Amino acid sequence: MTDERRDRWAEALRGRSGAAYWRGLEELLDTPEFRDAVRHEFPAAVDEIPEGITRRTFVKLLGASLALAGVSACTAEPAEKILPYVTQPPEVTPGIPLHYATSMVLDGYATGLLVESHAGRPTKVEGNPAHPASLGAAGVYEQASVLQLYDPDRARVVRADRRRSSWTALTQALAPTALRTHVGARGAGLRLLLEPTSSQVVAELLDRIGTLYPDSKRYYFAPLASGHRESGMRAALGSAFETQYDFSRADVVLALDADFLAAMPFHLRHARDFAQRRHIEQPTDEMNRLYVAEAMLTPTGGLADHRLRVRASEIESLAAAVTNQVMGERAAQLSNIPGSARRAVAHLRDAGGAAQSPWAPWAQAVAHDLAEHAGRSIVIAGPQQSAAVHVVVHLLNAALGNVGQTVWYTESPIVEAGEANHALAPLAEEMRAGQVDTLVILGGNPAYTAPADLDFARLLRALPRSVYLGLYENETAALTHWFIPAAHYLESWGDARAYDGTPSIIQPLIAPMYDGKTGSELLAALAGEDDASAHSLVQGSWRGRVGSANFDAFWTDVLHRGLVPRSAAPRTQASLRWRTLVRALEQAANARRAPAASRGRLELAFRQDPKVYDGRFANVAWLQELPAPVTKLTWDNAAMLSPATAARLAVANEEMVELGAEGRVLRVPVLIVPGHADDAVTVSLGYGRAGAEEIARGVGGNAYRLRTTAAPYLVPGATLTRRNVGHPLAITQMHSALHGRAIVLQATLEAFRRNPRFTQDHKGRVLTLYQPFQYRTGDQWAMTIDLSTCTGCSACVVACQAENNIPVVGKADVLKGREMHWIRIDRYYSGTPDDPAVVMQPMLCQQCEKAPCEYVCPVNATVHSPDGLNEMIYNRCVGTRFCSNNCPYKVRRFNWFDYNAEITETEKMVKNPDVTVRGRGVMEKCTFCVQRIRRHQIQAELEERPLRPGEVKTACQQACPTQAIVFGSYTDPEDGIVRELAQARSYAVLHELGTQPRVNYLARITNPNPAMGGGER
Amino acid sequence: MASPAPLPSEAPPLHERLVIRNLPDNAALTQQLLSPIWRGGSRWWLWPLLFCSSGLLALLFFVLIFYTFAEGIGVWGNNIPVAWAYAITDFVWWIGIGHAGTFISAFLILLNQKWRASINRIAEAMTLFALVNAMIFPVLHLGRPWFFYWLIPYPSAMRVWPNFRSALPWDVAAISTYFTVSLLFWYVGLIPDLAAVRDSAPGAIRKRIYGLLALGWRGASRHWQRYRIAYIILAGLATPLVISVHSIVSLDFSIAQLPGWHSTIFPPYFVVGAIYSGFAMVLMLILPIRSAFGLHDVITERHLDVLGKMLLVMGMLLAYSYVCEAFTAYYSGNQFEQYTYLFARPMGPYAWVYWSMTLCNVLTPQIFWWSYLRTNVVALFCASVVIFVAMWAERFMLIVTSLNRDFLPSSWHFYAPTWVDWGILIGSLGLFCFLFFAFLRWAPFIPLSELKRTRFELRREAEHGLP
Repeated sequence: MTDERRDRWAEALRGRSGAAYWRGLEELLDTPEFRDAVRHEFPAAVDEIPEGITRRTFVKLLGASLALAGVSACTAEPAEKILPYVTQPPEVTPGIPLHYATSMVLDGYATGLLVESHAGRPTKVEGNPAHPASLGAAGVYEQASVLQLYDPDRARVVRADRRRSSWTALTQALAPTALRTHVGARGAGLRLLLEPTSSQVVAELLDRIGTLYPDSKRYYFAPLASGHRESGMRAALGSAFETQYDFSRADVVLALDADFLAAMPFHLRHARDFAQRRHIEQPTDEMNRLYVAEAMLTPTGGLADHRLRVRASEIESLAAAVTNQVMGERAAQLSNIPGSARRAVAHLRDAGGAAQSPWAPWAQAVAHDLAEHAGRSIVIAGPQQSAAVHVVVHLLNAALGNVGQTVWYTESPIVEAGEANHALAPLAEEMRAGQVDTLVILGGNPAYTAPADLDFARLLRALPRSVYLGLYENETAALTHWFIPAAHYLESWGDARAYDGTPSIIQPLIAPMYDGKTGSELLAALAGEDDASAHSLVQGSWRGRVGSANFDAFWTDVLHRGLVPRSAAPRTQASLRWRTLVRALEQAANARRAPAASRGRLELAFRQDPKVYDGRFANVAWLQELPAPVTKLTWDNAAMLSPATAARLAVANEEMVELGAEGRVLRVPVLIVPGHADDAVTVSLGYGRAGAEEIARGVGGNAYRLRTTAAPYLVPGATLTRRNVGHPLAITQMHSALHGRAIVLQATLEAFRRNPRFTQDHKGRVLTLYQPFQYRTGDQWAMTIDLSTCTGCSACVVACQAENNIPVVGKADVLKGREMHWIRIDRYYSGTPDDPAVVMQPMLCQQCEKAPCEYVCPVNATVHSPDGLNEMIYNRCVGTRFCSNNCPYKVRRFNWFDYNAEITETEKMVKNPDVTVRGRGVMEKCTFCVQRIRRHQIQAELEERPLRPGEVKTACQQACPTQAIVFGSYTDPEDGIVRELAQARSYAVLHELGTQPRVNYLARITNPNPAMGGGER
Repeated sequence: MASPAPLPSEAPPLHERLVIRNLPDNAALTQQLLSPIWRGGSRWWLWPLLFCSSGLLALLFFVLIFYTFAEGIGVWGNNIPVAWAYAITDFVWWIGIGHAGTFISAFLILLNQKWRASINRIAEAMTLFALVNAMIFPVLHLGRPWFFYWLIPYPSAMRVWPNFRSALPWDVAAISTYFTVSLLFWYVGLIPDLAAVRDSAPGAIRKRIYGLLALGWRGASRHWQRYRIAYIILAGLATPLVISVHSIVSLDFSIAQLPGWHSTIFPPYFVVGAIYSGFAMVLMLILPIRSAFGLHDVITERHLDVLGKMLLVMGMLLAYSYVCEAFTAYYSGNQFEQYTYLFARPMGPYAWVYWSMTLCNVLTPQIFWWSYLRTNVVALFCASVVIFVAMWAERFMLIVTSLNRDFLPSSWHFYAPTWVDWGILIGSLGLFCFLFFAFLRWAPFIPLSELKRTRFELRREAEHGLP
């Protein structure tokens, strides 16, 4: 249907642009068909729609709305006053972008952002340096969210029972007088289903609705907010606190199935803090040490000094074993721990058979190291781990004396955190019992993400009345009576809190393109305040909190900064509740002992997808084509297995298999992942979508089908059946061995101290017959990338894609090896395939001083600039591709087709106007964000000053959470790049070729525990 | 059709046998060799069949060229890292084939090799049509082919010149020069025979057409004197081009620093390979022609013997190049070179291409140590076909196996051709055949005047008791 709509208008508008475009619309307006459609467009005319609406009429209406939406929404500024970020000039200058602070919320936690806006149209999302959850970095989801704003598949019309309706009609239907006739005077039949939220406005509105309908109930559901964390917290500490960590003060970190560097809430901040202790300059510098125990290799696991591959179900026992030993070693300091707790921990350890486990020595050594660094260590568990693991970890952090030092607790920013209503099962139970008359769903996509055992989709369809506010006409929208297009967060007013409790205001960058509504507006309608705009709601709420005096100054300041300064939640004094703690541990130990943990059975783990999250970003093409951080898989999910398990099950890569769990099956292809735990299989959630999102539809398999309320993350006894069908996987990196080549240099801290100059042979000048070229004075651009801190999270890849208008090519072309990313993250394995060491290496144009691409170009389309950039002149390029053949780093990308030919009008709006959109048949590559360099140079020239050190930031550098990428001019002694280049461990990749790259890498230094064999891995 | 004269019972050694024999007198010879032009030969009904089949393939070629122009290079299988593949393989292959013609005509005329006379025109036509194909590919292969002229140095208003450090502008210059000289050489050689065709043409229209083409040749002594001088000068010009063209084509690869390309042996290696494949193609063409037109007295065992020996010599030179390349890689101590030559090619994903092409190219010509096989039509033809295909595979191996695994293993990627790649390759063969059939049908493909001259010289030598 979407195609039909689009084709129809594409046909009408073909060949028209600019002034002609408007003429075209007027011409279209004159057709009787269109007049008819327009008549129907106005809400007042809705009543005229005949009862038996045909599909054809429906398409017509959709088409008309699309065109009008396009006309009305193009780059409209929001009506309310929004304020530019403080470092930008207050007035708009044409061609000069502005930055506005806002926040993006994921499962309730806000990340502060600065969004670049060109003439009223947001084009690029960056981190807000002042925001504690960002510190200037931005993750893949945040960066790609701007493409979602312009997604042509976004819903555009309010619908009632498949027919076009209007917001007015909805607010009338939801007005208390009308609604009470259905849900009862006290609202007994009214249920609200929200995503976890930290919004104060929403909380207040929910309270007002609660007053209006005292018997109504509200539920919160997000498929990846496990509840394990909260229940573990309640058992250990009595309340649903939030654990806060300061990784910058931790000498030793133990991560138990916790991808805290790339996936968990606040990960950007955690990564930054962690990297501070990882980036060393002198051999004498101290470094932290990271232990990771996990099943599936994650970016955090890749960075570990000691990684233990272990099935997720064994973590409980492992954590207990470590805790038990720590308590033993620190017995003198831990007299307050009751014997029951010690016994419970020992039980849990023995229930999992820790003593017989091959990892027993590992646990012992880690525990010893932790105990030696008591008060200066952190133990962290992943949210998907069981409540018992979280209980043990709280105990362990307390036993190590970390609480109050590197770890502390705060009140959770999440509304009603840890309450029983943070689950879908009770709601489903009520729906089944017929107690629900009207269900209002705000966001999320429960029909798709609900645990399979709830049969939520059927229950939803059977409801008398349901309302859904969503971005897309997705699986849930297809089952609800009312559908309201949601405003994207870049179109919304709102507020939210970061993980540490810091509140920030979400301000819109653009007026809602399709008349989308925010959750707060829908809640206000329910509360009988149907004309309240999100803006007035947010402002009203904060006025109430701050007080009217000085409110305007406060408001202006908060919008400028994007957060309320110094407002992180205070530390709470939380102490362990021994009784509940012991009971939780004993319960877990007994539950484990009951079914004998048998080896050889397949354990199925679900995980948050590093690209589409829980499925909500599945229609964002940038993310679908982003190579997954470790597997490099695009456009699919897969059953990920260890090589040994694949051999045991006799399955090969790219072979379709059927995963079965409790009678439910899922067909996915196999992907063998070195370093995965044996007898376990991991599947990403978020694929196999079936809604109206065209990009997402049919990509991968829907793992939610195997997920149940009882086993949301781990199915102990899964089956795997071969299907004897192939399924090609679009993987961007086919070879992962270094072949003994000097591409990634690494050393242990000890070896580095013995020989700080171990990279000496891989840098400096090489012998040449030619006189070296004397670069003129002025800025000389260079970059360093620290391999010690690169996690491979791929934020830089998406940042580059957004900044440089890099097209998406689709699965078929990725399979052929034609992905267009200017920066890629190379991942190399070393050691055995079963348990390899991993290293990530961002690879981009090395800006060689003696560039092999330049001399082979027959038409001088790639030449050198005086400031040391290897420049690409698109309009001179004829496309011989010789430059790519001669590039030893293979970082050049070719436009095999006209990849920008078929993008829609809205998708064009995301393009950065400072960067050429490349046509077919030309070569392209990383430019060191030359458009940013030139803009700052012009600015500096206008202000008659030299460029300031660090003034120019490349997009990849800006996004990097660990600041592994440093960029600057090496002729400026004040510039940070000078120090980085001078580091002992800097080197050039393929130095012997004499290309003299301007990109240098800092060799990877690891800090293995000498007591564990020094581990060269 | 004349049947081959039985060999004398005590045949002299092959190299002493006659280059031509048993020819009728001049008038009859003219009649015999030109009559197919007017009557289509004894199997005239074959012509429509040949033209239709090759024409359809040529049509496919042009349709696919149009398709590529319309859609982009993406319809091929190329990727990053394998940015060059079939089209460049086809290009180098056709250029290589285009070498034998000029080698036979120009080189051998300067070396006074009399045996060249019978086959030089066929070889020259082959060169020309191979070059037509070869010249299409570099343009077709561009991302933006409509700007191909930017590779030509012309005083543009933008004051931008081609990059003379790159091999590609030189490539354009070398190939266009070679084509021009080859065309001139071929045409100048044709003039006396076109006049003969004109003189024997039935009907005024044909007379007029061939008359125009013959440029008023009357066979006067003055014509002959100047003609010989012009012909020798052109031969002198063409000879170095045989060496230079493929040397420059080889620089398209060897100026790169890619392991597998970055080698100083490339110019001679390419020239040898080119002549090798060209001679294989010449054999593939003349053996059927010889049999179809009954030219056993014109193209004798002596020719077959010489061509067989050429294959043997060139094959050995090529084998030397292979060994030399691999040894240099091994001896260099450079791990990238070693990987490409000693692992990626013999053991990588294209190992079967590598081994089949090496074995075919090196072992096939070894059968020509036996003089019997050098004159055996079936053996010669089969060996030629094998070499013809294997030399295509050699260029494929050289280009694709170097690119698909270079310095950083992270960027290694397999290459697989699409149906368009195959269609273009087959279509280019169709275009070649179509042009060649047209040449056979309407042009004097045996150089009459040279043949007569050679016979006269041979007879005079015999009269004077010269060997």
